[in-house]
Amino acid sequence: MKILVPIKRVVDYNVRVRVRTDGSGLELNNVKMSMNPFDEIALEEAVRLKEKGVATEVIAISIGVPQAKDTLRTALAMGADRAILVHATDDVCQDIEPLSVARILEKIIKSEAPQLVIAGKQAIDNDMNATGQMLAAALGWGQATYASAIEVQNNTVLVTREIDGGLQTLCLKLPAVVTTDLRLNQPRYVALPAIMKAKKKTIDEISIKTLGIDITPRLSILSTAEPPKRQAGIKVKSVDELVSKLKNEAGVL
Amino acid sequence: MFLNETQEEVRATTRSFVNNVVRPAAETLDREERFPTEIYDEMGKLGLFGIAVPEELGGPGFDTLTYAVVMEELSRGYASVADQCGLVELISTLLVRHGTPEQQKMLPDVMSMKRKVAYCITEPEAGTDVSGIRTTATRDGDGWVLNGGKIWIHNAPVADTGFVLARTDKEAGNRGMSIFIVDLHAKGVERGPKEHKMGQRASQVGGLDFQDVRLGADALLGEMNRGFHMMMSVLDKGRVGIAALAVGIAQAGLEAAVDYAGTRKQFGKHISEFQGVQWLLADMAKDIEAARLLVYSAAMKIDRGLDATRACSMAKCFAGDIAVSRTADAVQVFGGSGYIRGFEVERLYRDAKITQIYEGTNQIQRMIIARELLRKGAEA
Ligand SMILES: Cc1cc2nc3c(=O)[nH]c(=O)nc-3n(C[C@H](O)[C@H](O)[C@H](O)COP(=O)(O)OP(=O)(O)OC[C@H]3O[C@@H](n4cnc5c(N)ncnc54)[C@H](O)[C@@H]3O)c2cc1C
Repeated sequence: MKILVPIKRVVDYNVRVRVRTDGSGLELNNVKMSMNPFDEIALEEAVRLKEKGVATEVIAISIGVPQAKDTLRTALAMGADRAILVHATDDVCQDIEPLSVARILEKIIKSEAPQLVIAGKQAIDNDMNATGQMLAAALGWGQATYASAIEVQNNTVLVTREIDGGLQTLCLKLPAVVTTDLRLNQPRYVALPAIMKAKKKTIDEISIKTLGIDITPRLSILSTAEPPKRQAGIKVKSVDELVSKLKNEAGVL
Repeated sequence: MFLNETQEEVRATTRSFVNNVVRPAAETLDREERFPTEIYDEMGKLGLFGIAVPEELGGPGFDTLTYAVVMEELSRGYASVADQCGLVELISTLLVRHGTPEQQKMLPDVMSMKRKVAYCITEPEAGTDVSGIRTTATRDGDGWVLNGGKIWIHNAPVADTGFVLARTDKEAGNRGMSIFIVDLHAKGVERGPKEHKMGQRASQVGGLDFQDVRLGADALLGEMNRGFHMMMSVLDKGRVGIAALAVGIAQAGLEAAVDYAGTRKQFGKHISEFQGVQWLLADMAKDIEAARLLVYSAAMKIDRGLDATRACSMAKCFAGDIAVSRTADAVQVFGGSGYIRGFEVERLYRDAKITQIYEGTNQIQRMIIARELLRKGAEA
């Protein structure tokens, strides 16, 4: 069984992001970029399935700027067998919208024919939480989102989902699309020898032009603003004062 | 900027391991003076020991610059952990360069830390002046008998195998010493108590006594009577490693100081708004960056096969000195808190001091720099 894992290159979660002075988005030049953490979880799960002998090949795919190649190298060092980079833009500030990503993935999937796509539930940059769902719809495959456990059995996959108030287990016929939640696994640290071995694995590069897919944005960003600065805390002298402030000033009681 | 894609990736993966596993454990390890077996096991699995061991011998086969990057990152978490990495690097470099295929078979266990090693040179009468060693290995059949004592040996209280410098020819000075691979569980090996140190307290350091320890013919590493030269041949790399370790300590101090300055308030302002504090931070940052670049330059010289002696001594000396002076500044930024156990900068200041002493004291580094200048000229 082949597993395809889409990987997005996003601003590293440790970076304190700043809004560009013209408000058109975030400052992305000279900012540390990394693999979207949910995609890391997806890849870890795929690699574990391969280590268990369930999967035969894990393919990582990224869509975006040429620099995403670095992110794919990390994916290869984590255990993906090979990678595909769809070169969609040169502008690090251009986000490829979920529908376009889904359409591109659909096309690649037609030729690669994976049985399972494991994707992050969302990318931490704009939290769309849509690509996996759109891809399943485009392919006409079953989908299970927010996975906290995945088990492949013959031609089906059992997925435990984290939902409000508990866990739900779904059984999907393969091929299927699964998106990962935070508690699915703890991704491994990349071992140093694996970094060397990853250099010998291949990254196929495809230009968006050869795919014939229109990725013109359908959404336009009107404004981006930083959250209001946190106010400094205050000390109160008594419980009475605290209760009164919570009632009258904070309005939470 | 100076690192290629692979080196950046090594840095990123080491850093995330250090942020999650090493740095949070440092305070407890320091307080308990405990050997962190669990961290070393995991480092072994991640390939963080024996960084330059070539792929055909089971290592990742990285260059010296990559090794320096790893050392800085590990040390940013905890210098004792980096020092263990440096020790394994020296031993494995000796084994790769001088070991017989049979001796090299121990490399996988050395790199997984299943076999803990020690590098045994210093003696009560032989510190900076290594030629003063009195430990002797006397011929006995096709093997040797080892007698003498070593002090301040990293890992001595826990090690399985010692790489011991001993005199094999009393008359021949530096040409009369050899390195032996010694089973430290063997009869006649006595371990002294663990020393209680100012800093790097998770490193187990102590003495070793050898009384008529029998060594087989296979115990000799490399050529007979070439021990001193073999030791010297890995010194450059050792110095780059300790220099990078020093940079890591200072870097951790800078990070802590910048964070603290942005949160601590006095006179109704963050102390980072006072120019007096800003200048401390600026001076810390520029010295640390300068030291890091000296480390990179020395490592790159080694990797390109250039004469690196002066560069390695400059890096070791400068980085050790600024690690001490700039962690002192970090303590200053913290005020009284910086002097209290439990605050990271208090530990960093203690951990930094030894970087001016081991791997050749900074007086000796200056001596070497001057000697190189006077011998080979002052051109850059
Ligand atoms: C924590 C720790 C770990 C160690 N780990 C190891 C280890 O694993 N293996 C090992 O073999 N050793 C180890 N050592 C020993 C270390 O390498 C020595 O302490 C170091 O080489 C200095 O020797 P010394 O202490 O005898 O000082 P000395 O040589 O007595 O020096 C005392 C002072 O005199 C100065 N001095 C000496 N000669 C000159 C000169 N010619 N010109 C100018 N100044 C000079 C020195 O710079 C120093 O300031 C360790 C030491 C410590 C503290």
